[in-house]
This record gives sequence, structure tokens and C-alpha cells, in this order.
Amino acid sequence: MIASMRGNVLLLAVAWVAASGWSAPGACAGLDVKSDEDAARLFATVCGFCHQDGGRRAGKGPQLMGTTRSDEFIINRIATGKPGQMPAFGASLSQEQIEAILHYIRNLKPKEATGS
Amino acid sequence: MRYLRTTVAAVALGAAVGMAPPPAQAIDPGRIQNADKNPNDWLTYHGSYKSWHYSALDQINTTNVKNLKVAWIHSPGRATRGLQSFPLVADGVLYYTGSYSRVFALDAATGEMLWSYIPQLNEDLIAAQTHTPYTRGIALGHGHVYVGTMDGRLIAIDMKTGKPVWETKLVDSEKLTVGFTGAPLVVKDKVIIGAQGGEWPWRGPIFGVDGATGQKKWEFFTAGGTPEAQKTWGNESWRTGGGGGWMPGTYNAEKNLVYWGTANPAPLYDWAGAKWQTEGPRPGENLYTSSVIGLDPDTGQLKTYFQTLPHDAWDFDDAVGEFVQLEKNGQKYVVHPNKGGYVYVFDQDLKFKNAWPLADNINFIKGVDNNGKLIGRRDLPEGKSTDLCPAINGGISWNSGTYNPQTGLYYKVGNEWCMDLEVVKTTPVTEPMVQLNIGANFTIKDPPGGKAYGHVDARDPLTGQTAWRIDFPEPPLASLLSTGGNLLFVPDARGVLHAYDARTGAELWSHNNGLGHNGGIISYNAKGKQYVTVAVGWGSLVGEGYGALFGEPYKSMPMDQGYLVTYTLP
Repeated sequence: MIASMRGNVLLLAVAWVAASGWSAPGACAGLDVKSDEDAARLFATVCGFCHQDGGRRAGKGPQLMGTTRSDEFIINRIATGKPGQMPAFGASLSQEQIEAILHYIRNLKPKEATGS
Repeated sequence: MRYLRTTVAAVALGAAVGMAPPPAQAIDPGRIQNADKNPNDWLTYHGSYKSWHYSALDQINTTNVKNLKVAWIHSPGRATRGLQSFPLVADGVLYYTGSYSRVFALDAATGEMLWSYIPQLNEDLIAAQTHTPYTRGIALGHGHVYVGTMDGRLIAIDMKTGKPVWETKLVDSEKLTVGFTGAPLVVKDKVIIGAQGGEWPWRGPIFGVDGATGQKKWEFFTAGGTPEAQKTWGNESWRTGGGGGWMPGTYNAEKNLVYWGTANPAPLYDWAGAKWQTEGPRPGENLYTSSVIGLDPDTGQLKTYFQTLPHDAWDFDDAVGEFVQLEKNGQKYVVHPNKGGYVYVFDQDLKFKNAWPLADNINFIKGVDNNGKLIGRRDLPEGKSTDLCPAINGGISWNSGTYNPQTGLYYKVGNEWCMDLEVVKTTPVTEPMVQLNIGANFTIKDPPGGKAYGHVDARDPLTGQTAWRIDFPEPPLASLLSTGGNLLFVPDARGVLHAYDARTGAELWSHNNGLGHNGGIISYNAKGKQYVTVAVGWGSLVGEGYGALFGEPYKSMPMDQGYLVTYTLP
């Protein structure tokens, strides 16, 4: 199961998103994220286009594995994006989904280490 | 889905400066039909309905091109993701759009601004889009400049004053996320424009709009657009099938057919592998995605089609909107490049004639047979696959090549790169706002045994026979231009504009514009002089990956700047 220990940080980010004019994120059809595998699927659905090798390498977007950015920064960046470089997902992904992606990023390992 | 038509009042900002535009003649359907006979202008995205990207002007030629100098520069401002657009010229006025659908009219001889039109856009929506905020072109006709917006509108601007005349909401972008980035096409009384789509779980319509009033006249869904097509999508997957026709096609008056290329289906990668006919997220051939289609411009009815990639499993779509119409030995042909790296040759009814590989590194199929069927397709099951060629960037990208009737050669960029990928079972995000559905993680890499690179080829357009070729350390990502002065202009990725002898490939001139090229290039005549205008500015979705693949100068190349540069002889 996805850990929920970062909930407070996420709530802050969501509050920021709401204040910026976005409607509060809602549930996304067919995409419950109840496991690490679900989070990986979500990443491959919407994030893998820019973050190569599942986030392990730089491509259009930066490498995510081993990032030193804070949880708050990552959640904010997912929710609000960066103009001209990264879309804002705050209106299309739920709180749970954004948290799941953060969890996925934090647990990224080189493929050799995972044996995959 | 909402379809709204509103009269524009205060929603847009139009600004005219002191100088009155030169007298403009009407741009009626007949003038566009005969655009190839008047090289002084450049009236449509592809130059004319023939789509040659060729100027018959020869004032600038192989003997004097060495003297070419910059005449003027114009910056559109707010050049997020560079300048990917394609300028047009009519009666001495140059029209173009930058990112965010910012439209400008300039004196084509001096670059002096005549008017600008800066639409108010839904900026929150644009911030949520992936394929944004570039606008790749405009169309002229019926006294208007037509431009699509990323928030789903088609806008008509008075070409003399820059004031908005009408706007029509065609796409519910607030729900579907995607909008318009490609240029419209004027055909008779209609303005035709295709929505973004591809990996987006929607149905990628192409719209026909009345050019005078803005009233939507028809809409053709590229995913499951007919009852026949819906049968090629198991489990009603056409409802989230992707498609789209995000670049402009062209028109054949003799057949009264609009040729348009359609995008790939969603998800991009399909875990069914070889069992794609019956399993996976979109079982079946997925008509009319990754196809070339012929539409009746009056009704939007499908008249003919050819699906280059049944059940496209690689994102090698046909939305490259290039349909080169030419005649040889009394036979008429349509030449169309596909993103997979093959160039297809059809007759005027889109009946298959031939396909030849432009790219060197192609292994997603082993070939195309004499009937246009794929040989040895490499379907990708769930899990890892390595060394798939070409990479998702394509063996051919969306900018256009050029056909020169004097040499009989077709000049086109080929891309050489591959990738490793891991196909993942995904579920499309459709609520509350649609998101792209990729279906894989991937890494773009060098081809086996060498480095990634690009090349400009001079080929027989029907057979693919090579006359000459120039290799580049990175694939150029801009359109090409050939001229009656026997010149081929190639704007490269590093920022250098090259002029070659179109007959031999010998380089005759070059100029460093300081930023990569990722858009259009044209030639025209204003006040008796020939000019060449090129879009300068870097930052397309493909170009964004150059830093990781090639290093410098791309790692540090700005992706928020752009300008038009115009050259002429002293």
C-alpha cells in the first residue's frame, strides 16, 4: 500500500493549487492507486513521455531517481507544473494519485539493482 | 462536449500601428487553387495545394546566394518552446503566428509591423497541456487570417485591420485538455482544421467551418468515424481511441478531395503484442488512426482512405500533413511521408502504389509489400523490448520536405535513432480532465553500432532512388525549401541555415541564426525583390530531448526564445 505519511505536505500543496484558481482535484476514472504497481502504471500513463526510463534518466524532462527535491517541491511541481516545460496535473490527478507518484519517485532504483 | 459560437468583441486584443497595409487583393478559392502559379506570394502552409514547399523565384540563385544578407528580424515575444510556425505572404504582407496564437502582419519588405492580434487564452488550461503552447501556422482566405487556439477555438481575423471577426469554439478543451496547434486549410468556402489527439483518449476530430461566418459545418472523427470503423475497435475502444489530425493536409480540386493524415491511436503502446487483433486495450485495426484519408470538403464525408499502419503499436502516425501532388509520365501521384520512416506513394484516390524507406534504421517492420501491407511487424508485448527503431521521435518528423520540379527530386530529412522501452498496462485518465495515455516507459538511444544522427536526402519521390545525401550530427527539425534558383535551403538544429545546390548537394552559403530551427521557411517577392524568411527558435517535444541525447549546444539552448529572420540580396 502507498504510505500516507506525506499527507500533510500534500494537503498544503492542494491548498496552494486551490488558491491558484484550479478546482479541487477529483477522482480519476479507473485509476485507483492502491499499490506500488498501480503507481508505476500511472507513471507510465502520463509521466513516461518526458521522464525517460520510468524517471531513471533525463530526457525531455529531468531524471527523477535520486532527486534531492523536497516532497513539498515535487508535489507542487506535479500539481502546478512549470510553464512551457511541464504540464500542471492538479486538475486531472487526485490527491491520492499525486501522492502515489511521489512515492514511486522516492522508491526508484537503478534497474540493475531491482533485477528487472 | 460543448460547441459554442460567439461573436468576438472585447475578448481579444487587436493593435494596429500607424502605417496602413499595402493594398491587398481578395484571396478567393481560385487564387489559392492557383497559388503555385504566383511565386510572389506564399498563400498556404504547404505553399500551394500541390504541397511542394517550392518557390519558382530565381532572383536568388546558385551564383549569387553567397551574397545573401539579413534584411530584417521580427520577434513575436513570449516564444515559449521557440518558434515552430510557418509564415505566409500575400500582396507584400507577411503573416505569421508565434506561440500562444499571437498573430502578426508585417510589411514583407521591411518587417515593419502593420498589426498584431494577441488573443486572450485560458492560461490555466494551457499550463495543464503537454503539447503546448506552440502554434504552427495560420491560413488565409475570405479576407481573413485564420488561427486555431490551444483552448479549442478557431478565430477569424480581418487581414487588413487585425481585428477579430468571429470565433468558434470547436473543442471542449477544458475537459479534453487538447486543442489546436496546427495550421488550418482553406478549401473553397470552408476552413478545415484538425484537433490534437494521438495519445489522448478522445477521438481526434477534423472540422469543416464556414469561412465567412464561423459556423461549424461538419466534424469527422478520426477514431471510429464511421460504423465500419467502429467495428475495428474491440470493446468500443474507439471512444478513447486517440487519432487526431494535428497538421494540415491539402486539397485536390480534380477529385474534390481533402487529403489529411491522422495520428496514432491511444494508448501509444499496446500490451497485447502479437495478439492485438483480439486482445489488449484497443483490439483491432483501429480505423482511421495512422491513416491517410480523403474527405469531401463540402460535407466532411469520408470518400477514401488508406491505413498505413493497421493497429499502430509504435506511435508512427500519418499526421505529418505532407501530401506532395505531382505528375510523371502522364500519371498523377500523391507522395506522403509517414513518421515510421517510410515514404508512401498513392494515386489521386489514395490507392497504394509504392512505399520506400527514407530512414536507415527501421526495424518495427521488415518492409511493405506491393499492396501496402506490412511485412514482419514487430509488436511489443508487456515488458521490455530493446533497440526498437526508429525511436518514438520518428524516422520522419512533422516538418515538411520540398519537391523541386526542375530537378524532379524530393528533399526530405531522415532521422536515425532508436529506443528501449518497457510496455506497461495502463488505464486512461478521463475524469475530471483527460490525460495522455502513453503505455510505456522508454529511453531514446543511439542506433546499434553508431551514433544518432540525421540526413537530408535528395530522392526520386516515386521510387526513393537517391541522387545525393548530406549527413548531419543531429537530425534537422525544420521544414525545407527549394527554389527556381536551383537552391535547397536547410535550417538545421544547431541554428545554421544552409543553402545547397539542389542539383548536386554542394553547399553554397550558410548563416548562423544562433538558435535551433524548428519551424517553417518560405520565399516570396516584395517590391521587386526576392526574400527568404525562416522561423528561428528551439523547443519542440522532440527537440527538448536533444540535450540528453546529444549534449551541447542543446543542453544550454534556450527554449523560450524565437524570431523570424528574413534574407535578401544587397
